[in-house]
Amino acid sequence: MAVDVLYRNNVIERGRGTQPMLFAHGFGCDQNMWRFITPAFEDEYRIVLFDYVGAGKSDWSAYDAERYSSLEGYARDVLDVLHALDLRDVIFVGHSVSAMVGVLAANEEPERFASLVMIGPSPRYVNDGEVYVGGFERSDIDGLLETMDKNFIGWANFLAPAIMQNADRPELGTELTESFCSTDPVIASSFARATFLADNRDDLARVTVPSLVLQCTDDIIAPIQVGEYVHRALRGSTFELLKATGHCPHLSAPDETVRVIRSYLSRTAPD
Amino acid sequence: MDELLDTLPGGVVSFSDDGSIQYLNGTLARMLGYTAEELRGRHVESLLTVAGRIFYQTHFFPLLRLHGRADEIFLLLRHRDGNDLGALINARRRERDGVMVSDCVLMEVRERRKYEDELLRAKRAAEAAHGVLQVRTREVETANDRLTEQAAELEKQAELLIDQASELEAQSEELQVLNDELIERGEELEKARVIAEEANHAKSQFLANMSHELRTPLNAIGGYVQLLELGIHGPVTDEQRFTLDRITRSQRHLLNLINDLLNLARIEAGRVDYRIERIAVTDLIAGVLPMIEPQMSTARLTLSVACAPDLYALADREKSEQVLINLLTNAVKFTPAGGSVTVEASATTQYALVNVVDSGIGVPVEKLTSIFEPFVQLRERKSEGTGLGLAISRDLARGMGGDLSATSASGAGSVFSFVLPLASPAE
Repeated sequence: MAVDVLYRNNVIERGRGTQPMLFAHGFGCDQNMWRFITPAFEDEYRIVLFDYVGAGKSDWSAYDAERYSSLEGYARDVLDVLHALDLRDVIFVGHSVSAMVGVLAANEEPERFASLVMIGPSPRYVNDGEVYVGGFERSDIDGLLETMDKNFIGWANFLAPAIMQNADRPELGTELTESFCSTDPVIASSFARATFLADNRDDLARVTVPSLVLQCTDDIIAPIQVGEYVHRALRGSTFELLKATGHCPHLSAPDETVRVIRSYLSRTAPD
Repeated sequence: MDELLDTLPGGVVSFSDDGSIQYLNGTLARMLGYTAEELRGRHVESLLTVAGRIFYQTHFFPLLRLHGRADEIFLLLRHRDGNDLGALINARRRERDGVMVSDCVLMEVRERRKYEDELLRAKRAAEAAHGVLQVRTREVETANDRLTEQAAELEKQAELLIDQASELEAQSEELQVLNDELIERGEELEKARVIAEEANHAKSQFLANMSHELRTPLNAIGGYVQLLELGIHGPVTDEQRFTLDRITRSQRHLLNLINDLLNLARIEAGRVDYRIERIAVTDLIAGVLPMIEPQMSTARLTLSVACAPDLYALADREKSEQVLINLLTNAVKFTPAGGSVTVEASATTQYALVNVVDSGIGVPVEKLTSIFEPFVQLRERKSEGTGLGLAISRDLARGMGGDLSATSASGAGSVFSFVLPLASPAE
């Protein structure tokens, strides 16, 4: 029996356009990350949202520790979604680790991609001696894994469905009765390793699809020299430095993020 | 109010969505080795360890942004002296003075952190054990799969065996039917045999009676011819005597024929009585030689006898002589002049064996059996005789518990073997 990818990856479609925009969330949360971005594109594009297996409302029973031990497994999820909906001419928008997942998928089947929009990409988080600065030492990653473990021991509320009493924000209501960032500790830990211990530097040179690199100011996870490295390695890429700080401009500065993406798309769109 | 917050046992920090610290109480500043003034305006991430910053970006901030709150988050803070300290944080994101800020209350965890470390160690040990368990489970599953496969294979074989068994059963039933048919046919054959025997018996009876009826007039013919020859009814001319002689010879031939027929009929009708006694085979042979020697010398044949000593048989003397004479007569008849006839006698475990060996024309292999049938002769009409001799002889031999058989190669002489039950040499 064929896998129901649309169910497995909790694929949600929105929008009134024809050209697909596929939004891929990063490590930590799920497709809800895009909630401040997608409304701006719904008039012109066919918006496709999904959760990686093990995240959000995906079918966790489909989780395969072997498959998702590396980013290739996550790239397979992207291609599975493209195949399930037979999407072509796709604008792929990937945050953080999903920028590299998009690179892997686009190298696999470039003919399906129109462009790659990368928000805070990094091909390698761990420094490589004198050759490459990723921003982290291996011990930092171990510290992250430990922090995650600590938060997964049992008292971190984002693990369990949160019974929210939104006295101050009643309009959020029942939508927040479960955590967007809820995840299984083992899956999260494995995703963290796949993300932060990956090295996709060589994959960048093979990309033939046009791309946009969105670089934040003061991003601890993807420092500016990493963004510049990605831009240099990607042939025909466009580099945009955002005023937004941190690693999640789509959460902290959605307007600027939308504006820059829209501007890029209008410049690259065929007449 | 600020003074009040500074006296709190816990840390308080407010920061905007871009991470810049709007407010920080004295407790938190002291906790980290700074004054509050030193930290205001800085990025909230600067209070955290590197790992804490990653977690802040990947989990804590998205939670705040999407949920508006985060409770009991564990984060590692960085002290001015470089040491890190763990803190539990509750946070609420809310609008204040037209700006979205996140208000955090945090508490250092020291003792609790130790327990958590213990807990984490125990959890990791449990996970390792779980990993081992999973490997073992997989092994068991693999073994189980193999067993399932084997079971399926066995089941298949069992089905095959059942198929074969039912096939065998079907074949067995067929065989049973065939067997029943054979038994039926056997019974039919037995019935046919009984009928045939009865018919044969009736035939023999008829022949015996007829022979007797035929012999009477033939004897009369012989008697009256003798009377004529003796000249009782007047002198007999040479021509008449010649004719009478021809009549006599024909009468005798016919009489012999009828006698033979009568004998055969009697034997086959089971009307022959055997006087079985212990006889010395040497005596038996010696008894018949005088009767055959004249014919031997006439035919210019050499006769030799080789008889084992102390050889005794249980037999009817007269009928045994009749068989031997028949065999010797045949040997003479079918052996060209200059040939030889040998009589050899020896003992087997149960029988006394008398072989009559000649150097004559032999018997073709295909006729070795049929020569013992009544009226069968080796060469049609060339020889004299009724064609009943060997048939009668074998019947007699069998009637005494012995047998008569022949081996030969055409043109290389024949061996007729006459066997009789062996008798012990000692009386």
